[in-house]
Amino acid sequence: MSTPIIRASGLTKRFGDFVAVDKLDLAVEPGTIFAFLGANGSGKSTTIRMLIGLLQPTAGEIEVDGIDVMHHPRRVRDHIGYMGQKVSLYQGLSLIENVEFYAGLYGLDAATLESNWAQLRKRFDLAAAENEKTESLSAGVRQRAGLALSTLHRPRVLFLDEPTAGVDVHNRGLFWELIQEEADKGVTVFVTTHFLEEVDYCDWVSFIDAGKLIANAAPEELRRAHSGGYIVSVEAPTAEHARLTAELQPLGIVQAMDDGSLRLTTPELDGARLELLNTLQTAAGPVTVHIEQAPMTRVFRDILEAAWRKA
Amino acid sequence: MVNVVDLHQLSKHFGTRAALDRIDLQLSQGEIVGVVGPDGAGKTTLIRTLVGLLEIEAEHATVLGYDLLADVTEMKNHIGYVPQVFSLHRDLSVIENLRFTGRLRRLPTDVFESRVAVLLKRTSLTPFVNRAAGALSGGMRQKLAVANALLVEPALLLLDEPTAGVDVLARGEIWSLLEAAREHALVVMSTSYLDEAEACDRLLYLDEGRIIGNGTPQQLRDLVPLELYHAWGDSPRDIARAARQLPFVLAARPTGSFARVEVARSQSPGATQVFAALSQLPGAKVSFVERAAIDMEATLLHLARGAAQ
Repeated sequence: MSTPIIRASGLTKRFGDFVAVDKLDLAVEPGTIFAFLGANGSGKSTTIRMLIGLLQPTAGEIEVDGIDVMHHPRRVRDHIGYMGQKVSLYQGLSLIENVEFYAGLYGLDAATLESNWAQLRKRFDLAAAENEKTESLSAGVRQRAGLALSTLHRPRVLFLDEPTAGVDVHNRGLFWELIQEEADKGVTVFVTTHFLEEVDYCDWVSFIDAGKLIANAAPEELRRAHSGGYIVSVEAPTAEHARLTAELQPLGIVQAMDDGSLRLTTPELDGARLELLNTLQTAAGPVTVHIEQAPMTRVFRDILEAAWRKA
Repeated sequence: MVNVVDLHQLSKHFGTRAALDRIDLQLSQGEIVGVVGPDGAGKTTLIRTLVGLLEIEAEHATVLGYDLLADVTEMKNHIGYVPQVFSLHRDLSVIENLRFTGRLRRLPTDVFESRVAVLLKRTSLTPFVNRAAGALSGGMRQKLAVANALLVEPALLLLDEPTAGVDVLARGEIWSLLEAAREHALVVMSTSYLDEAEACDRLLYLDEGRIIGNGTPQQLRDLVPLELYHAWGDSPRDIARAARQLPFVLAARPTGSFARVEVARSQSPGATQVFAALSQLPGAKVSFVERAAIDMEATLLHLARGAAQ
């Protein structure tokens, strides 16, 4: 485990008597996509505002890319990019004028701006929109432009607060490709979303409720812990059932279903189990294997309900 | 059965731009109809048209039997509407907002009280009845907006992205309201969530003001000329990257424990072939490949691509 690039410990924020964030500990590995989730009103936005130095915590410590954010809240801003749900583009200015304006804020010189923007314009497919007034950009282009602006100064950490809210499925897909490219280049991405299928594009999930962590694990681990496991169904001629049932035994209890298939539930699908399924399917004979996994919506509903029962 | 919505060649122009372009649409009671499509496709305009808020052109256009080209004042008494922007009174409490609507809609006190009790329970808003609407979380606000629209037990419930930015539990509660409303109403809602689109009885896919898909989720899935494979292995990112090099692969993306690989149905390699081809590639350590059912993402992307051609 390498040194976390974002680290918060005992992070607390009170508004009067209300505890919005309650002794929260977070650790984000460099170069990963980190999903920060929670129900509406759980303390997500308050936490992000503290992490990026916009809100002074009541207590705790924060370090982002080596900066002590508690004591130097302004200094962290050169190290991070931020994009909110409402992309901040100045209306009345064209996209390229916005880019020049932001470059000025980041203190980029002309040559750096030119080379950074040339790459982003191409990669984010923004050339056609460059001279458009920002109010006439479509939602998908706005989101891409927002992400481009937040990476203009090549930050090592990106904070994206519901970047895909209100974006259609096509543009959400394109957007996640860009996020994954950033992560491949070593950028750490801290992202929030209500589209829970997007959690499967992330390396780690921290889930908060009432300002406290209620889950903190890799997405697959959460799925394992909060769903009945994977359902494996095997379609094959009846003559093969006895053999297949014996071979599938290591995975779980095999049931013959009314539709003529075999079915079992397995808590885990590691390499060995997957290879077993592969052997069954690729050996001679018409054997088809299907795996059904719990959707993340179900996983997170389960996590929340468990937390609320406990509270 | 009488159509709740019956539109023939309906258009809506803003200036010279056709936000809705010669739409034909018939919808009957007892369905949850999802309106999907890219940003700017006309989803909001369609919903606002059905609410009776817009002047339109049409050969024929009735909603609940009322002519959209005539006076729609009476029609609005039978419609519940949740606009995209939260439109209740922020300075009034939850119960005051509901009472305000109850009086505006002239509900008898006993009817109002019994309906409110049910709605508050279903939305888990009971502990918050005295909280100002402006101080509610986003999820609670939307639950209140839907409950408020249901007070009159409308025959037609129209909701414009009611669950945008709403967490998974609040979305579940909103959906249980919609499912209950389906008993006495036609429910039409726009949504960007794939799981919600999947849960609708019928989907309308809009693009550039036209309905280019209209059917059950299964009917729309059947139209997708793709096969979908899940390639499982230790590093789905590497598998996806490698898969894109295969000539028969249209797209590949890592998601969770597998790479999601799209192939043209006409190529139909089969799971065994895809496994064999991926195993040949350096960098992709594939353990298992299954042919998966077409999902809602592939379905909507197919409709989007079709529209682009």
